[in-house]
Amino acid sequence: MRLLLVEDDAMIGEAVRAGLRQEGFTVDWVRAAEAGDAALKAEAYALLLLDLGLPRKSGLDWLGELRRRGERLPVLILTARDAVADRVSGLDSGADDYLVKPFDLDELSARVRALLRRQSGRAEPMLRHGELTLNPATHEATYKGEAIALSAREFALLAALLERPGAILSRAQLEQRLYGWGEEVESNAVEVHIHNLRKKLGAGFIRNVRGLGYSVPKTP
Amino acid sequence: MTSSIRGRLLAWLLLALAVAGLLIGYGAYYRAQEDLNELLDYQLKQLAFSLSHQSVGTEPAPPGLLLPEPDFITQVWDKDGVRMFYSRPNLEIPLRARQGFSNVAWNNESWRVFTQLDGFRIIQVAHPVRLRQEMAADLTRRALAPLAALLPLLGLGIWIIVGHALRPLSTMSSAVRARTPAALAPLPQDNLPEELVPLVGSLNDLLQRLNRALETQRQFVADAAHELRSPLTAVQLQLQLVKRAGSSEERDAALERLEHGVQRSTRLVQQLLTLARQDPQHGEVHTAVDLDQLAREVIADFEPLAQRDSLALSLESDGPVHMRGARDSLRVMLGNLVDNAIRYTERGGITVRVRSADGQAIVEVEDTGAGIPAEERSRVFDRFYRMPGQSTGEEGSGLGLAIVKRVVDWHGGQINLASGASGAGLRVTVSLPFGNS
Repeated sequence: MRLLLVEDDAMIGEAVRAGLRQEGFTVDWVRAAEAGDAALKAEAYALLLLDLGLPRKSGLDWLGELRRRGERLPVLILTARDAVADRVSGLDSGADDYLVKPFDLDELSARVRALLRRQSGRAEPMLRHGELTLNPATHEATYKGEAIALSAREFALLAALLERPGAILSRAQLEQRLYGWGEEVESNAVEVHIHNLRKKLGAGFIRNVRGLGYSVPKTP
Repeated sequence: MTSSIRGRLLAWLLLALAVAGLLIGYGAYYRAQEDLNELLDYQLKQLAFSLSHQSVGTEPAPPGLLLPEPDFITQVWDKDGVRMFYSRPNLEIPLRARQGFSNVAWNNESWRVFTQLDGFRIIQVAHPVRLRQEMAADLTRRALAPLAALLPLLGLGIWIIVGHALRPLSTMSSAVRARTPAALAPLPQDNLPEELVPLVGSLNDLLQRLNRALETQRQFVADAAHELRSPLTAVQLQLQLVKRAGSSEERDAALERLEHGVQRSTRLVQQLLTLARQDPQHGEVHTAVDLDQLAREVIADFEPLAQRDSLALSLESDGPVHMRGARDSLRVMLGNLVDNAIRYTERGGITVRVRSADGQAIVEVEDTGAGIPAEERSRVFDRFYRMPGQSTGEEGSGLGLAIVKRVVDWHGGQINLASGASGAGLRVTVSLPFGNS
């Protein structure tokens, strides 16, 4: 899952990015609303983490602009403003959730997961497909009743495919979701991960549609 | 004497009334005596005349026959001085040779006497002065009685009227009592008696200043709490990253970040305390300060930091510049300016200049750093204001220049920001009055 973090405080930005990466998210971090705009145009993000106290343009103003423009991605506000009125105006400006600083990394990832779940129309926290179960909170996977070991990238790739069974994701789309800015991507990285997953789940689990990309069948 | 205005007014007014009453009484008594004298003298005369037309023997007349007035003493002598008649056997006032009215002291009493000589007899009528005085006093008492009776009533009236006139004061005091630090609205000024207008005006002025000071304080605490959240958030996140670290390298890196976070929080707290101390009420005593000496000390403090960043730190001064000021605060001020200059200068150097010009002490800190755009210059002195797009990696507390500004304001000085000599960099010029030394 690729997330965009807009936070002007260097220490907080770095720590949030590091923490969310450990949870298997891909995080791009910018320090102002203008840079956020540019990032949103260039990449597809699953969620926006937004600090309100940004230089020049406040996070709230920018959020209002985004929503007026029809931007639909889920937005989680991270802010030091904890008054009820601030929360209300934050949510009314179009945020989906509101987290007050200082916050806990575990709570932040849980809220991010919940927002993503809701976004994909699921209420159930587990990702299930036939006999495969993925737990996004713990990164545990079981297949046919047995736990299987998946690397963080393998897990993220599988989760991306399971989110919308039947839909085809291109190699570029998968790369985009797996790697943030400045991360080294080897040209055949996605193929390698797919190969490893097929070894663990059986060759038929992930289909390759030649020239288009990969998918898991709608009905297992 | 009581300190209540009402009590004082009552006491003084009643005293004045009493004095006026006494004066009136004295006047009335004097006047009554004059009138009585005139009347009774006339009576004495009439009595003497009426006797001169009667023939009297030497024997005393039967009481009440001739003289119905027992207070009058009538005596008649013949030409040879032999008493022919007297109205009171026991009261024999000696014969007066002089005709007409006279005052006679006899028998321990003062007498008003009228003597008439009619050819062959001497008739003398006397009346005690004491009686006249008693009658005058009696008349005066009667005249004053109603006033005395009215005095308590007057007192009550004064008490009520003064109380009524003072009511705006008690309204005002309950209005003042209703003010709390949270609600310092101005006192109402409509329908105020003229005498209270200046008082209420100054009170409102005070309330307004108090309100402003409290508001500043509240804002400061709110800002400070808000600002402390950022480094605390960073520290908390960094701590969690330390806990989660899988390898010892990861842990070391996370611990280093955590240390930076803690240092940043500490620095912010120190700056907050410094700012809170730069307050006239805090009361650092103004003493004689040599700015040249102060600049040398500050430069010595920051030399290691400048050397670390390979920056030249130098002083330009023609000698001592003496002024009166708060030495510690001035040192904090100069230190913050030099610290900022080092922080935002990547290469080149920082020059501190001390001089006196136009009757003021001038301190200047010039650097060859990024400078401050003209449109930002008015805002950089605001508390917690950080210039946008500042990505030097250093997280300032946003308080350094606010502290400088406060010290300068406190000393009645001025601060000016300009570009450096070459058009790049920043030159901060602080002008301070010498102070009365």
